[in-house]
Amino acid sequence: MSSRRPVVTGVGIVSAAGCGVSAMWDALRSGRSGLGPLSLFASPRYGHCQVGQVREDVDQLAGDASGSRSDKLAWIAAREAIQQSGLAMPATGIRAERTGVLLGSTVAGMLGTEEVVGALLRKQCRNFTPLRYHECASATDLCARRLGARGPTATFSTACSAGALAIATAAGLIEDDELDVALAGGADSLSRLTLNGFGSLLLLDADGCRPFDAARAGISLGEGAAMLVLEAEENARARGARILARLSGWGASCDASHPTAPDPQGVGAAAAMQQALERGGLSPSDIGFVIAHGTGTPDNDVMEARALRRVFGSAVPPFASVKRFFGHTLAASGAIKAVVCVQALREQAAPGNLGFENMDAEIGMQPAREFESRPVEQVLSSSFGFGGNNVVLVFSRADSPPSSRAAGVRRRSSGIPLAVLGAGLVSAGGHTMAGVRTALAAGGVTPSWLESPALFPLGRLRGYTCGDFGAGEAIPAARRRRLGRLQQMALVAAKRSLPQGLPASISPERVCAAIGTGLGCLGETAAFVENMLINEERAPLAGRFANSVHNACASQLAIELNLRGLNSTATHRRISFEAALWHCANELREGRADMALAGAADELSPYTQAAGERWGWWDENAPAIRPFDRELTGRRRPLPGEGAAVFALARAGEASPESARLSGVHFGRFAARPGGLPEAQKEAVWIRNTLERDGIPPASADLLLTGANGWPSWDDAYREVASALSVLCGHEVSLGAYKQVSGEHYSASAFGFFVALGLVRGEIEPALCMAGMPSVIPAAGQPRTVLLYTLSPGGSHALCCVCA
Amino acid sequence: MQPLTDELKSKIIKALNLDKVTPADIKQDEPLFGTGLGLDSLDALDLVSMLERDYGILIQDMESARQVFASYGTLEDYVQRNRR
Repeated sequence: MSSRRPVVTGVGIVSAAGCGVSAMWDALRSGRSGLGPLSLFASPRYGHCQVGQVREDVDQLAGDASGSRSDKLAWIAAREAIQQSGLAMPATGIRAERTGVLLGSTVAGMLGTEEVVGALLRKQCRNFTPLRYHECASATDLCARRLGARGPTATFSTACSAGALAIATAAGLIEDDELDVALAGGADSLSRLTLNGFGSLLLLDADGCRPFDAARAGISLGEGAAMLVLEAEENARARGARILARLSGWGASCDASHPTAPDPQGVGAAAAMQQALERGGLSPSDIGFVIAHGTGTPDNDVMEARALRRVFGSAVPPFASVKRFFGHTLAASGAIKAVVCVQALREQAAPGNLGFENMDAEIGMQPAREFESRPVEQVLSSSFGFGGNNVVLVFSRADSPPSSRAAGVRRRSSGIPLAVLGAGLVSAGGHTMAGVRTALAAGGVTPSWLESPALFPLGRLRGYTCGDFGAGEAIPAARRRRLGRLQQMALVAAKRSLPQGLPASISPERVCAAIGTGLGCLGETAAFVENMLINEERAPLAGRFANSVHNACASQLAIELNLRGLNSTATHRRISFEAALWHCANELREGRADMALAGAADELSPYTQAAGERWGWWDENAPAIRPFDRELTGRRRPLPGEGAAVFALARAGEASPESARLSGVHFGRFAARPGGLPEAQKEAVWIRNTLERDGIPPASADLLLTGANGWPSWDDAYREVASALSVLCGHEVSLGAYKQVSGEHYSASAFGFFVALGLVRGEIEPALCMAGMPSVIPAAGQPRTVLLYTLSPGGSHALCCVCA
Repeated sequence: MQPLTDELKSKIIKALNLDKVTPADIKQDEPLFGTGLGLDSLDALDLVSMLERDYGILIQDMESARQVFASYGTLEDYVQRNRR
């Protein structure tokens, strides 16, 4: 029996239907809806809509945790789950480096950002602080810091399935022996953006959602957070933790059909359900209850009923949507449903579908109406996000034995080499390997001046922009007209990575895609929010809202290229690319995908510039980024940039032409010294141990290709890590840098991966990565193995090992 | 063409970013969605937004939108009768 199987040892929730698991369960038992009037902010257009607002004082409940409302909600739920599982460190049987945090987030700090943008529009913005908590990674880093986690930690943003994807990812990391314990879940607060956005799609039911009912007319927006402590069974048993349930199966798929609407036939949703059943070795008849996605929109509920029929035939198990209790809590939704599943298994009872009165002929089935005692062994829960990002989880009773047909004990797969088949680039340093080589040889790219929109009093912006990146030739006008700039950048890079298109022999269901993005389509998001605030919520821009979700790039790739496997979007600051790459690597190594597209994309925006200037992140008067250049004096800060890079991957030896190999991708959190910088010795040990675990001789590591950006303290940190690694490996590990060409942005490490490919293929001489940096001795000869090593503010680090 | 026709067709082209389409390409009786211009549900919603911004017309549900956008002719007719 596999002792790496993930079990649940803690649950926590904060929601409109109750703060704390017992209060929430009480609301479900008594059929008490959490919907009510909106008082969190004023909304001229949608203020009359019923919403699932958390009524408790969130600031007070969060104690001394600082951050956005979403961050605080996340911490409130996390604290409950941590307490229940006995995880609060130092705890017996818990190792920080084997403990991770995986969260889903889509709204993140938008509520506070809206206030900053509103003040900017009135030309009276003094408080930029909310922008510090704007990012999806903010809640994850808060929870990881407070928990003391140092293992794999990342944020995913597949809109309304993000919480479920985070839970599935944590389970995958536990099975693959990367983690013993994970805090996993999702959090999102209400915001004007999402309220107006769903309003613009005509998807709000002002009177409260009525899932699966004949008269249903849309969603009610909600907010909240839910967290699970997931743990390898052997770890939970060894430390005597109480097992609440097991996560027995999970599956993910993509509709590849439409940016906001589900595929009406429910093919993708059914595929995710089937995958989850298969993974758990379960038959449809093993499922005793289904916690449906059931948003209450006309399209979702019909689609979901069709998907259930596809999987369960005429024997669809009793099911219920809990959306009228909670509202639609977006990224928290999948995690809230997971907590409901765990409670249902523990209490042997299941909720009723509040809001349902009359059966819809088109749906042709009715949900469970009342809360009832039910002997259930297995509960399935579905989450469907914008872009057709579907994730399904199956939970089983704690004492139910795993199915003998469950995907058995696997050997640890993270060292299995993958082939890089193609690479596509959009960057400030050109879009080809030759262009990048030239830019590196010149010592970097000269940043350009950009016109700042009138809104910003900062005058002109300066940074590393991609200019015309060839979207006109690569994307037909009819397809391009609906796409934001960042989506176009990602799509152009993806097409360049697959010049011949997907091989006809590969089934679309077996191709996965994952894109990292620190900030998503900022241009589209800003256009929607500015229009909303300037016009006082009149004439909202639906198309912009559809493009404002972080997963707009990854799901657009799926639509354009017909990719129906797992579709992931990772949003974790500077390691967004590596977290996305991990998903693709894991799908390939476990045999669920035969091909994968992994990449990252971020765009320049006056907002990042405004915030960065304010806090001294950028220096618009700096001449250019000069990594490791100690001869430059004065206040050295980097300059912002933008770009996209996408790589086509397959298992090594199965496809050609291989241009290089990826033999490992890892991410986690570093041990920080005061000031937030890593301890070099510990970093070197982490790198060496990681290589050894993957079966890569540390002595073969020739070059540490770093995210150094000229900021002296971070450059020194990279330099110290290289020195410590040289001592540990017994040979000189040379340093390299690439941000003098890409500029500083959250997807820059994907550009670094492109450079690493050039290095191991002999198309870029290692000395060029140090051109013009007199204080560093360049490497001699063509490196066999390049370590792409990235440090991120917030305490994250990542490592990719690229070989010839 | 009448002034409203010219104006409305230009606004449709602009709102939907239809670079290659000229007002003459938008035929009176052709469906706006599916066939014809090949528009989809998100385009419909962007037209809803344009009607509100430029003509003060509020469309609050998909069913009404479907009727109004049956063809360019029905849309123009609707704008003519309901503009403020």
